[in-house]
Amino acid sequence: MFNLNKAGMSKKRLQETGAVSALSAPSPAKPSAGAGSGRGLTARGLVVDYGSGPVLGPLDLDLPEHGIYTVLGPSGSGKSTLLRTAAGLVPGFGGHLAYGGRPLGGRDAAAAGVRVGFVPQNYGLLPWHTALANVRNALKIARPQEPRAQREQAALRWLALTGLAGLEGRYPRALSGGQQQRVAIARAFAVRPDLLLLDEPFSALDAVTREGLQSLLLESWRRQPSTMLFVTHDVEEAVLLGRQIIMLTGRGSMPSSEAASSSAGVRLIDNEAVFSQEDRNKRESEAFYEQVRQIRHLMREGW
Amino acid sequence: MKKNAAHSSRELGVQSAQKPMRSAVGSHSSTRTGFRGTVLRLLGVFAVLHVLWALLAAALQRDILPSPWVVYPALIHLDGAEMLTHVGASLIRVCAGIGLALAVGLLLGLLMGRSPRWNRLLDPVVYLTYPVPKIALLPVAMLFLGLGEASKIVMIALILVFQVIISVRDAVKAIPIDTYDVLTSLGAKRMAKFTQITLPGALSAILSTLRISLGTAFSVLFFTEIYGTEHGMGYFIMDAWLRLDYPGMYAGILLFSGVGFLLFVLVDLLEYRFMRWRAY
Repeated sequence: MFNLNKAGMSKKRLQETGAVSALSAPSPAKPSAGAGSGRGLTARGLVVDYGSGPVLGPLDLDLPEHGIYTVLGPSGSGKSTLLRTAAGLVPGFGGHLAYGGRPLGGRDAAAAGVRVGFVPQNYGLLPWHTALANVRNALKIARPQEPRAQREQAALRWLALTGLAGLEGRYPRALSGGQQQRVAIARAFAVRPDLLLLDEPFSALDAVTREGLQSLLLESWRRQPSTMLFVTHDVEEAVLLGRQIIMLTGRGSMPSSEAASSSAGVRLIDNEAVFSQEDRNKRESEAFYEQVRQIRHLMREGW
Repeated sequence: MKKNAAHSSRELGVQSAQKPMRSAVGSHSSTRTGFRGTVLRLLGVFAVLHVLWALLAAALQRDILPSPWVVYPALIHLDGAEMLTHVGASLIRVCAGIGLALAVGLLLGLLMGRSPRWNRLLDPVVYLTYPVPKIALLPVAMLFLGLGEASKIVMIALILVFQVIISVRDAVKAIPIDTYDVLTSLGAKRMAKFTQITLPGALSAILSTLRISLGTAFSVLFFTEIYGTEHGMGYFIMDAWLRLDYPGMYAGILLFSGVGFLLFVLVDLLEYRFMRWRAY
């Protein structure tokens, strides 16, 4: 898929030394040294290690809030791990991860109260709850202080906005894959998250359904902007959705001595040229093709 | 004929794949005709069993196996109030025993399923004590708890609790860990995860256990009603046997079976109510 041919591999090490290089200047997401307390998502020396060498990091990131960041990387680059860590699913990690200055993912994250919406690849719906109950219960956990009627209204509203009006009472088993993912998106938006994390959410869907859901996601995000991290292995999807594209270096191809000492290769690619286009023109635009071509080229050159 | 059999077995296979925990008797599908079909099949089996019974009775011609024509009138002529106390006494014992077993078994099973530490601690205990034939402890229970209700209820609970622990634990362990991910990322507390995921995820196994427990509980009940009581279905049947009142004895067995069947249907209704999400 990634066309990492042998020639590309040999050049890889050169590329990695520059931890972040903005491809298209000027990038609004250009990290400045010591910007750890800024708004948005920041990572400082983030390392995840399950016991057999780091699977992610050390990683430094500064992502201003209200952006859509698509995360690209070969398998083993730790892109899902980055997402799961931010979602609080990897309790033991090294370094520092924060959103708007508030700690994220770690033990003090619960008290810090960063609201996280998470959409996993397998939809993550509870099969014993109806579509409505899935959204309702997520809201009850994320916003216990809100009146019940208000939560119910939010749940119904988002289900309607994701095109599920009339299907609220269905159990996940009675919904198609695309519909289930719509419920998952409705649930993620309904909690009004600060940070929205999506882990290859559309990879199990057919092409037509996927395009519909990509548009729905952008539409929902415009209605209620949050900082969105979207992991994908599909270059076109990354270009189509991202305002910025984060490219992570594969860990597996790195010599272990280097892996331990250097910061993992991260590349932040500005995608505003594509992002600013209207949805229905995007796929056919010159900018889109050009960006996809460039990224494919970069991938061949070595991450 | 052969083709037919293969076809129907494939159909059964498909059904059991979709509804893994369904019992053979209680399988009601969501459609009305399916429900009616199930009832008709049950009635059919009921009728066939009675025909076999009548044929066997006619062939044997002995008073130790009276025919349905003798047993059903005996059943109708039983003293209603008296039978009510017998059935009531038995039901109280069965329910108390199952209740006790479920309370202890659910607690330990959920604990062992969720926490590897508790599982490490308790697993050897369960493993070592499970093969002990608990019915052999009946004299011990009688010595310690007397001949009254306590020993009867504890015996039922003792025999059931192990299978409840094991099936609940395994059901909880079988819930994929990523089921918890979304709620965890939302900051769900332990209790919320338990009520939203662990309990509903294990409910199917709990109901299955309850169903199996019912059968076992009635068997154990029979043993415990042989001593120290003048109430209960077991007592009634054994008493009829001692009085050589065979029609009465068989009527008691029929009544006992009927009560068991009703409880079975009750579990089915519970399953229908709580497992609706699986019906698709």
